[in-house]
Amino acid sequence: MFNREKKLEKFKDAETVIGASIKVKGNFHGQGNIIIEGSLEGSLKTDASIFIGEKAKVVASVEAKDLVVNGEIKGNVKIKNYLSLGGTAKISGDIHYGELSIEKGAIINGQLLFTGDQTSKKGVQENEGAELTEE
Amino acid sequence: MHVYIYDDYLNKSKYSKAVNRMEIRLTDLGLNGKIIRLGGIKNIKGTIQNEIRLGAKTIVAVGNNQTVNKIIGAIIDNDIYSDFQKKTLLGIVPIGNDNSIASSFGIKNEEEACNILLARRIEKIDLGLIGDRYFLNETTIEGLGTIIDLGDYSLEVAEKGTVRIINLLSDKENLINSNPHDGLLDIIIKTKKKDQTILKLNKFIVTNATEQLLIDGVIEVKTPAEVSVDRDKVSVIVGRDRLFQ
Repeated sequence: MFNREKKLEKFKDAETVIGASIKVKGNFHGQGNIIIEGSLEGSLKTDASIFIGEKAKVVASVEAKDLVVNGEIKGNVKIKNYLSLGGTAKISGDIHYGELSIEKGAIINGQLLFTGDQTSKKGVQENEGAELTEE
Repeated sequence: MHVYIYDDYLNKSKYSKAVNRMEIRLTDLGLNGKIIRLGGIKNIKGTIQNEIRLGAKTIVAVGNNQTVNKIIGAIIDNDIYSDFQKKTLLGIVPIGNDNSIASSFGIKNEEEACNILLARRIEKIDLGLIGDRYFLNETTIEGLGTIIDLGDYSLEVAEKGTVRIINLLSDKENLINSNPHDGLLDIIIKTKKKDQTILKLNKFIVTNATEQLLIDGVIEVKTPAEVSVDRDKVSVIVGRDRLFQ
């Protein structure tokens, strides 16, 4: 069973934190874990994990190993392993994921595309009632 | 041979006890050496250069952050640097206030500094570079309106606060893993909204239309300015309780 607290634990050691007062423009590519609480326009990529905070606004394509979203993303999202959408998450764009968890209240405007190992456990919808609108 | 460079302000009577304590301790430990007082010297670079040529094994800055910066500036910025890097070490004896550099190296007071000089625990340390000026500790600038441009992307600070560009961490309150020999500068942006931004970067341009960069709390530099880091630039004698691994 997915343990959200455990998934968030690893962000305590994030090498890169973009605070709420920061605007990032361009191709923001990192190697370690990244926390975004501010705004970002362009593209966002890392080999590790990304945490998008509740007030964050990301207008960018996003690529990572794992992603936890509580804010807003406008752009396509490619997640190799695990994607978690919190109750305040709002994504406008197509989503590629390996594993998926969606909390009640999350909004998705785009396609959900499973790209993980077909034999592995498929996307998990932790709470029912998420709003899904496919374009 | 040790060469001790005393800063001007140590001539004041309020520092005489501390200077005496240091000198007695150095004698006890057999670390006496040549003393040069900056007060009477116009050409610091030339003087230090000459001492290195004469075979000084350790140049010891006796004073505060500014003393250390003066000496580093004198060493790095001339043709004696390669000799310094191969043969000579930098030691620090902190006396008085404004000694965050010594604190970063785990040197708390003048007597402890003497013991540290004897122990000769050596670390190669990066130096930050802004334009043609080196800095050991950190550089700061007002947050609002500051843009950090890395070419691929830029960051703009939208609130009042402070941007700190850290080579050598001088306080423990920021729980970041700062390392002055990783070839990276730590950027910490704290704003009045109490949010914090943390990044590790090695080369970027800082711009602020109205504010200037402040190097080690002393020297002002206009922006736009290129900021980078030079790896393992100086060998420093450090204490066991230094603020980095």
